Amino acid sequence: MKVLESAPYRYDRGIKILTLGRITKSYDRIIENIQENDRVLDIGCGTGMLSFRAILKGAHVTGFDINPEMLSIAEKRAKELDAKDKLVLIEMGVAEIDSFEKNEFDIVMSGLCFSELSIDETNFVLDKIKGIIKSGGLLLIADEVKPQSILKRIMHFLIRIPLVIFTYILTQTTSRAISGLEQKVESAGYIITATKRNFLGNFIELVARYEESDV
Amino acid sequence: MKFTNFLYYVFINIVETLIRFFPVPTKTGCRKIGSPDQDSPVFLTCNFHLTVLRVKRALRGIDCYLLVANSKGINVWCASAGGLLNNHSVISIIKTSGIEEKVEHKKIILPQLAAPGIEANEIKKKTGWNVIWGPADAKDIPSFLKKNFVKTTEMNSIRFSIIQRIEVASMWAFMISIILTIIWLPLFLRETPAMLIQVWYISLVVFLLFPLYEPLLRLRKRLLFVNLGRILVFLIILFSAAVGIVIYVFAIKQYEKWLLIRWCIFSVSVVILIMIDLAGTTPVIKSGLLEERTFSIAIEKEKCEGTGICIQVCPRNCYELNSKTNKIRMINAELCVRCGACIVQCPFDVLYFKNEKGQVISPDNVRKFKLNLMGKRDCCIACKISNQLIKA
Ligand SMILES: C[S@@+](CC[C@H](N)C(=O)[O-])C[C@H]1O[C@@H](n2cnc3c(N)ncnc32)[C@H](O)[C@@H]1O
Ligand code: SF4
Ligand code: SF4
Repeated sequence: MKVLESAPYRYDRGIKILTLGRITKSYDRIIENIQENDRVLDIGCGTGMLSFRAILKGAHVTGFDINPEMLSIAEKRAKELDAKDKLVLIEMGVAEIDSFEKNEFDIVMSGLCFSELSIDETNFVLDKIKGIIKSGGLLLIADEVKPQSILKRIMHFLIRIPLVIFTYILTQTTSRAISGLEQKVESAGYIITATKRNFLGNFIELVARYEESDV
Repeated sequence: MKFTNFLYYVFINIVETLIRFFPVPTKTGCRKIGSPDQDSPVFLTCNFHLTVLRVKRALRGIDCYLLVANSKGINVWCASAGGLLNNHSVISIIKTSGIEEKVEHKKIILPQLAAPGIEANEIKKKTGWNVIWGPADAKDIPSFLKKNFVKTTEMNSIRFSIIQRIEVASMWAFMISIILTIIWLPLFLRETPAMLIQVWYISLVVFLLFPLYEPLLRLRKRLLFVNLGRILVFLIILFSAAVGIVIYVFAIKQYEKWLLIRWCIFSVSVVILIMIDLAGTTPVIKSGLLEERTFSIAIEKEKCEGTGICIQVCPRNCYELNSKTNKIRMINAELCVRCGACIVQCPFDVLYFKNEKGQVISPDNVRKFKLNLMGKRDCCIACKISNQLIKA
């Protein structure tokens, strides 16, 4: 969603329109998995659309992002909501995710950030999360994915073309839907407990659990 | 096979030169060149497709690893000055590409022109890897290796060679040709080919004559509100455009008032379009559109420790180390393009920007400006246009 990120002040409203409101519902659903006082990490937290939902559920959230402008919006909002002591914001990239402590988090979540990572980065992050999440902790992902069935792939492709051209003209970048997310999560050693795809199959809500093995 | 490779190389070079205005991203990650082992050198470049292709060609015959880092498909210099090729891109590619398992050393050779956007100190702190500044042009890499990582003045400097000038001219001409064809073809079918020739002719004249009028562009003298040098250059180019029109009129042997007016308006527009940011389109003169143009480099001499890092990263060879005092001094201040590389890299914050009014841009601000202020910084006309579009 590069168009909107280059204009962070319009990001939230823009993304709701582009996803036809779907994002709000998806995020609400995914947040259901969070309990009061959970320690939560938000990867690529942006303006904090996921972070603040978690805070409202009583969680303590750490969010990081490489884009300082998005972060400054999150910070302003934290002040407005009087939630500054519940949210820690860090400017860094996913490659530094191994700078957190072992067992530092009960939940690691990410909304629309994995689709902006390279394959190497995705595999790196999935691997390193295991070093910072407690055993039995949950990984929550809401993101754009490639549909599985051929027919839906074609529909997805047709719908995406105008969007891709539009984004490219404005920002000369495109974001890519993730392919094979479930396989990647599983082969990284998580147990997927729930997935929900939308009708077109191009948006996923994924819940996975991490169990530390004794070996 | 060899020959088809070469054909492919030429073809891609032509196509991507013509569409140079637009980024063309390619896959990030670690590429093997030859058969490297755990002691082989590690190079880094951006993920602009054409750059990767050219760097790979320059590395032929050298066993090494090439890390292609995310710059959103933009060339090294623009991306690093614009904050797209930044610390994050480098940290990420070092840690996620698997290079740490492939080599035993921790030395990475970065393109010198990435220096405005990547802080060698931060990379060392976050990854433990040491940055070595390579040559400005990938073509010099083989001799850079032969000389044991020592760069000559030539290898440090950015040039605007005749080939580069033809490339830039073609890029402009191609862009304008497309727009022109769309507008003109339906209206004046017969005239369009001649007009296209005029577009290419003007573009080539502007950039081929560049060395001749370059000193004029550097003139500081002002006439009323505009720079005298620029006016003179504008007139020279306009004159050559007029020659084009005269030739056309003679060639078709037909004199018609509307035709002449049409050609004049059209030619003047093309000249203005190319001239708006002529300086910014060249790598050797600072864009006239940037606020920093009124700033110049200031030196806090006492703090200098004589590391020579600024000399390594300056693409215009502005600096020299005083061998007696071991302090830095500027020997070519007038050549400075205000890229900020020296300020960003100086470990002791000796250098900063200052203007005539006494306003200062601190090293920290330069670092922040260059890094991460994604899309907020316009470095030349191309950035300006795309950023305006985004803000609109
Ligand atoms: C589409 S936004 C989603 C933001 C937020 N999670 C939300 O749902 O509103 C993606 C975010 O990921 C961030 N991002 C992209 N690549 C990243 C990386 N390598 N490391 C950390 N954050 C990254 C971007 O800066 C951007 O803020
Ligand atoms: S100015 Fe800074 S980078 Fe240059 S020699 Fe002195 S200390 Fe080194
Ligand atoms: S002296 Fe000027 S041209 Fe040289 S590195 Fe510094 S800012 Fe760039």
